[in-house]
Amino acid sequence: MEQLMAIARKSADKVEIYSRAVSTDSVSFENGTLKDIDSKLLFGVSLRMFKAGKLGTAYTQNLIDREELVRNALVSLKGGVEADYDLPKTGQLPKLDAYDSAIGKLTNTQMVDECARISAAIAARTKSQVNVGAGRTTLTIRLLNSEGTDVSAEFSNYGNCAEAIFPGSYASIAQNQVGKKFEAFPDWMIDYVANTYHAALKEAKPAGGRMNVLFLPATLYALIWRLKEGTNAKNVYEKTSRLKDQLGKQVLSEKLTIVNEPLNDQVPGARTFDDEGTPCRNLPLFQAGVLKSFYCDLCYGRKLGMPPTGNGFRGDTTSKPVPALQHLTIQPGDKSFAELIGMMKRGIIVGGAMGAHSGNILNGEYSIGLAPGIYVENGVIAGRVKDAMVAGNVYETMQNVVAIEDTVCSSYMGRFPAVLFDDVSVAI
Amino acid sequence: MFDQLKRILSQVKADYADLRYELRTETQIAYDGRELSLMTADSTDGYVLRVLQSGGLATISFTKASDAEKAIRTAEENAALIGKRIKAPVQLAKVEPIKDTYHPKLDIDPRQVPIDEKLELLRHYNEIPLQQSKVATTAIGYSDLTRDRYFVSSEGSQIREDLVTTRVSGTIISQDGALTQTVRTACGGSDGFARVKNRESEFEEKTALALNMLKATPVKAGSYRVILNQRLSGTFTHEAFGHFCEADLIEDSPTMRAKMQLGAKLGTDILNIKDDPTRLNQLGRYKYDDEGVPARSTQLMKDGVLVGRLHSRRTAAAYGEPVSGHNVAEDFRFAPIIRMGCIFIEPGRLSFDDLCAKLADGLYLVDKMGGQTAGENFTFGAQYGYHVKGGKLTEMIRDINISGNLYATLKKISAIGNDLLLAEVGSCGKGQLNVRSCNGSPHVMVDSVVIGGV
Repeated sequence: MEQLMAIARKSADKVEIYSRAVSTDSVSFENGTLKDIDSKLLFGVSLRMFKAGKLGTAYTQNLIDREELVRNALVSLKGGVEADYDLPKTGQLPKLDAYDSAIGKLTNTQMVDECARISAAIAARTKSQVNVGAGRTTLTIRLLNSEGTDVSAEFSNYGNCAEAIFPGSYASIAQNQVGKKFEAFPDWMIDYVANTYHAALKEAKPAGGRMNVLFLPATLYALIWRLKEGTNAKNVYEKTSRLKDQLGKQVLSEKLTIVNEPLNDQVPGARTFDDEGTPCRNLPLFQAGVLKSFYCDLCYGRKLGMPPTGNGFRGDTTSKPVPALQHLTIQPGDKSFAELIGMMKRGIIVGGAMGAHSGNILNGEYSIGLAPGIYVENGVIAGRVKDAMVAGNVYETMQNVVAIEDTVCSSYMGRFPAVLFDDVSVAI
Repeated sequence: MFDQLKRILSQVKADYADLRYELRTETQIAYDGRELSLMTADSTDGYVLRVLQSGGLATISFTKASDAEKAIRTAEENAALIGKRIKAPVQLAKVEPIKDTYHPKLDIDPRQVPIDEKLELLRHYNEIPLQQSKVATTAIGYSDLTRDRYFVSSEGSQIREDLVTTRVSGTIISQDGALTQTVRTACGGSDGFARVKNRESEFEEKTALALNMLKATPVKAGSYRVILNQRLSGTFTHEAFGHFCEADLIEDSPTMRAKMQLGAKLGTDILNIKDDPTRLNQLGRYKYDDEGVPARSTQLMKDGVLVGRLHSRRTAAAYGEPVSGHNVAEDFRFAPIIRMGCIFIEPGRLSFDDLCAKLADGLYLVDKMGGQTAGENFTFGAQYGYHVKGGKLTEMIRDINISGNLYATLKKISAIGNDLLLAEVGSCGKGQLNVRSCNGSPHVMVDSVVIGGV
């Protein structure tokens, strides 16, 4: 990478080189039988060259021909993508515990054994189709820039997911467990999957209408997605965010505090710098429902005149950095999961969400299919509803928070508690 | 190239192995509003090795040739481990080894078009919506992507085929006060750069739509009789039905397999559905899949009866059904999985006017906004629609998400139009992205669907 830097600097004012090396093994069990082991050993390099306020980019999967990579970036420079921001000079960073060397000792046989154990334990109780997956990833990132920044980090991740699937469908009751090294799938998750599956097995046919709706940690992303778009500096800059003029205002229920916590190394993936080398920091987005901050990368920080928040992330080396929230969490409340269900007179638990990506996301609207929807009556699970949808606007729904679960769970898009809302439209 | 691949393959100790090498070249240009936000032309490469040993099939992808030995050992170990633990050993359906080099016929090869011309074309299209004061912004991109694939197998296959995909796509965002509306726009295909030239009308129509949607009214939740337009019905066919014709998706679900048995009467008598990757001049065209099997046109439903299914060599053997050539990977980072190539409802006899007259009162729903399934249940969004009263389109509606049950819906398709239209861009995300996933349909009438309005 140092050689590449030397070559690139000859034709640019500023240069950034980003590399990722990732190794993964994933095991999948379907219906009690080992299905697949898939492995990857992938390397990639991304180059950004800045000249006279313009940006050229290029990527490759190997570093065999450095000259060609630089030539590609120079062709890209001719396009004239505006980039008048500075690259950070990042020196000392806090030490985080993001890599556990125990991950290297874990064998694929152990992962297969664990999947077999979980699968058998759940299937013995549900007599249903049970799918289980395990995945192990190690990732190394390095970022160099012409300002003298040279930062790198190593990460380890192990996860298990297990689901009991309802007959004739892929609607399921599921749990995910993640950590920095192998940890046995806990008994409480097996209990949760088995017990909830049984409670929801019977089909219920309640009438639709406005009612209590409980989003699980695993389905809350359908709402969070809208808030992420609303607080994204890009959408604020383009004036398409509904929150563009709302800083300091009460936007959500005062029960909701939503923060981005990249420095929390209790969970995998903690970061001290983003994919542009900007130091990461914990960032409150909504404090007791009040909009506190937007998040940005270098590009949109400059456009909005706000200091970069350390939220410039790439999908991989083939894509450019964009503002992203990768360490989002909702602060837990004071009710246990059982208490939340007990508080529902008549309502639906969103057990799985379908179609969260459709609808007018910038406007905050959502309309999602339930896979499954679990019907609760007088505080007790009464069965499962099929072909039902919940719909609304996140900026209204999130003002109607009844209560929040007292723990958080790592899920898609962040670490969330279950959240109980009132007065949500359910079509059945 | 083939010599290097055969050298690597010769080091594998297994019952069967195949190795795919891909050179991926890509041009991407993007505008956010009037700001050019991306312009890049790249090439990159990688390998995917599959090893079958003692009934276990394992895959590894790697990007450095120097990792080949490590990759071979890893795949051998994983295959042996699967072989030891798997209930039914993997077998691959027999196919004839093939030696072929195939380059698709392109109307203007995008790789030969200067990047400046692509930039100018995109800038021109992007200006169409931006001239309107109520268009807040756009996010429109040009891309061309080539997968130059080399495939060798221990059975003696040696195939080279390149897949070239070109598209201009993105969103137009209109705004009136606090209300924003997002409209998707797209054109493209797999038959050359000419596909995206002279397409001003696409961007003009979608701009007008983005403005009109500001005035449309949100639909009321409930159950409706509807006509789906071609793109929406194509999405339904892909999402709700097509995925369950993918043998790998249902093979371990005893209840889904029971429902999706060949010979089962699932649809109305008028319903015929096929998947045909070999069809010319459509997005999903390919000659060989990523395990070297020639693609075949596969009839999935005939007169409402399930008659076929999409297979890999592994699932074809496991089901005892013919191979179909549908095992396709996103690129060199992925093992092939079973994908639809070009799935569509075959056209019937009715014109759109005939369908509206038959519907009399209900909704006409237009264009897709994403879709998802969970077994028999599906959800997908419609971009917009109209109330139909007395066979005539009346006021415009928006915020439409449809939910339903696959089996119930297939039996409620009560009329089929004569106007088959195939999608020009795709983005199926079954674990991997397939930008060449093509689907289509004529207009169809469905007797009832649940709509989750607000």
